[in-house]
Amino acid sequence: MEEHTTTVDKPATSRRHFIDLLLGVSVVAWLASVAYPIIRYLKPLPQTGSGGPTHLTRDEASKLEQKQFVIVPVSGQRVIVVNVQDRTCAFSAKCTHEGCTVTYLPGQSVIWCPCHDGRFDLNGRVLSGPPPRPLSQYAVNRQPDGGIVISEERA
Amino acid sequence: MQSIDNPTVESSSQKKEPERGAGETASGALRAWLDRRYQLTPLFDFLSHKQVPLGVHWMGWYYLGGITMFFFMVQVVTGVLLLMYYQPGEATAYESIHFLTTKVPFGWLIRSIHSWSAHLMIISLLLHMFSTMMLKAYRPPREVTWVSGYLLFLLTMGFGFSGYLLPWNKLAYFATTVGTNIVRSVPVLGNWLLEVLRGGQDVSINTLYRFFAAHVVILPLAFVAFIGLHLLLIQRQGMAPPLGEKVAPRGMRFFPSFALRDLLLWLACLMVLAALAVFLPYGPGIPGMDWELGDKADPLAPAYPGIKPEWYFLWEYQLLKEFPPHLFGLEGPQLCLFVIGILFVIWALIPWIDRRAYRDKPSPAFSDLGWAAILFLTYLTLMGWDVGAHHDAEQLTSMQEVARVCAWWTLAAGAVVILVRSWRFGHRWFILTGAALLQVILHGLIGVSYLLAGLISFVLAAIAILVLLYFRRSGADAAIST
Ligand code: FES
Repeated sequence: MEEHTTTVDKPATSRRHFIDLLLGVSVVAWLASVAYPIIRYLKPLPQTGSGGPTHLTRDEASKLEQKQFVIVPVSGQRVIVVNVQDRTCAFSAKCTHEGCTVTYLPGQSVIWCPCHDGRFDLNGRVLSGPPPRPLSQYAVNRQPDGGIVISEERA
Repeated sequence: MQSIDNPTVESSSQKKEPERGAGETASGALRAWLDRRYQLTPLFDFLSHKQVPLGVHWMGWYYLGGITMFFFMVQVVTGVLLLMYYQPGEATAYESIHFLTTKVPFGWLIRSIHSWSAHLMIISLLLHMFSTMMLKAYRPPREVTWVSGYLLFLLTMGFGFSGYLLPWNKLAYFATTVGTNIVRSVPVLGNWLLEVLRGGQDVSINTLYRFFAAHVVILPLAFVAFIGLHLLLIQRQGMAPPLGEKVAPRGMRFFPSFALRDLLLWLACLMVLAALAVFLPYGPGIPGMDWELGDKADPLAPAYPGIKPEWYFLWEYQLLKEFPPHLFGLEGPQLCLFVIGILFVIWALIPWIDRRAYRDKPSPAFSDLGWAAILFLTYLTLMGWDVGAHHDAEQLTSMQEVARVCAWWTLAAGAVVILVRSWRFGHRWFILTGAALLQVILHGLIGVSYLLAGLISFVLAAIAILVLLYFRRSGADAAIST
């Protein structure tokens, strides 16, 4: 008797099992097909800022003269350009700690992030404070006509 | 039922909670008419028998949830009003708020009420949460109520954080930069999350659009859903009776007695809110509680000192500062996020961790955990606030001094807490509070680094608890248990 029931039940349960599985898979697939477009929609497009080297405008250059530093956008990134005595250097202005925009303290010749008091030297290295990595450096080219060009290659 | 012929109750209960009191406003005929169609009698019966447990704790704790909800309703009303002038956009967000506060009649008032009410809502929410924690109201069968309240708390933080950016001023810009950057440390998903949150690599006007959507649509919908669940559970189960008893010794009828008191208190809250909004339209002027518009956000301007998040995020902000750049092969912020994550998960799971309350027994260790958490947050918040700093001095020189002043304040608070608890409530379990205070002493007064001080205190507390458990096992528990 028992044998009989198992032989009858088994195909029935496994068929039901199979159908349940099928149903489960199709529900998951349906959810995925709904979620995928939304996820893609939320992910922003890559930045399409004008890539390549950036010329400082006249305004920016005069700000650099006056304040010893200026912050400019270079291919979508904030870059701080600093005048130190005879040379000009440029770094990512985004603090490596939590991403505040850094500033330059001419008196102490350090690049300073006021958010959590991070300090960098003029090679971008961390002097003190919580930033875990140095600021990446940008290349600065002075052109014969006095213009300044910042580009992404490392200096 | 007896309240039907009482006009005061009718109108008040209707104003307060439409779904609860809807039947009571109607005259007898209307009520009968409705009852025939919708069979409302069981509902009225239920409401008229609803009781608030009395006679054990100070009753004040029971009002805090209602007060929080009241402030939320104020937020909805003022928020909708603000929406009628606010225009998100690079050239309009800041300008529209400026116009609102300077030109629009009473625009400043609406904005001021919205800001004040946000802060007061968070204060009452925190009080509500901590009182629930101390009274162990989270114990079975109310675990889900605790979790839903916890989610409401997270959503409220989300409201505060997203709303902060909307005026598009400088302070908000940098606070949001730092705040959102934390999610970058989430393992695997970090960068994706960051971009989705910001709508790009950096905080930009795209971030504002996303925060706007979150602040005015996504969060409110989620909040209303969870508040619905939270209230439903409370209606279903009633308020928690005191520990160790199935029912409270005495009770107060919810309708009309408690509801009327609730209403009166809301009126008082509204008055306080109005007074604050009128006399201090831009906040009390302390960092983290200040909504002067200031300068417009400029992604190309450097940050400046004194950038602080709102006060309820200050402890996280300060904790972030206390982590060194690298530790255990991880970056400081990653580890910090990890620690904060663990703390938040523990807090959410308290109903399941607290085994003694689970069995309806007093759990002094968890009361102590609540107080330790408060002292831990107090110390970090005070430091984040730069309490004791000379405002014109260089920031670096005063860090240790700030820590010292804050340590004294926290120790004073801790002493008061311990004295009151042991005298007034007969508490005898102070290991975690002690550990929190030890950390304060080690860091603030002796100058050990914050994390090391924390580690030492943590290890000592763990040892103390193990020893205690050992003694309790061996039968000598008479002196230890409360
Ligand atoms: S963001 Fe620069 S130090 Fe924290």
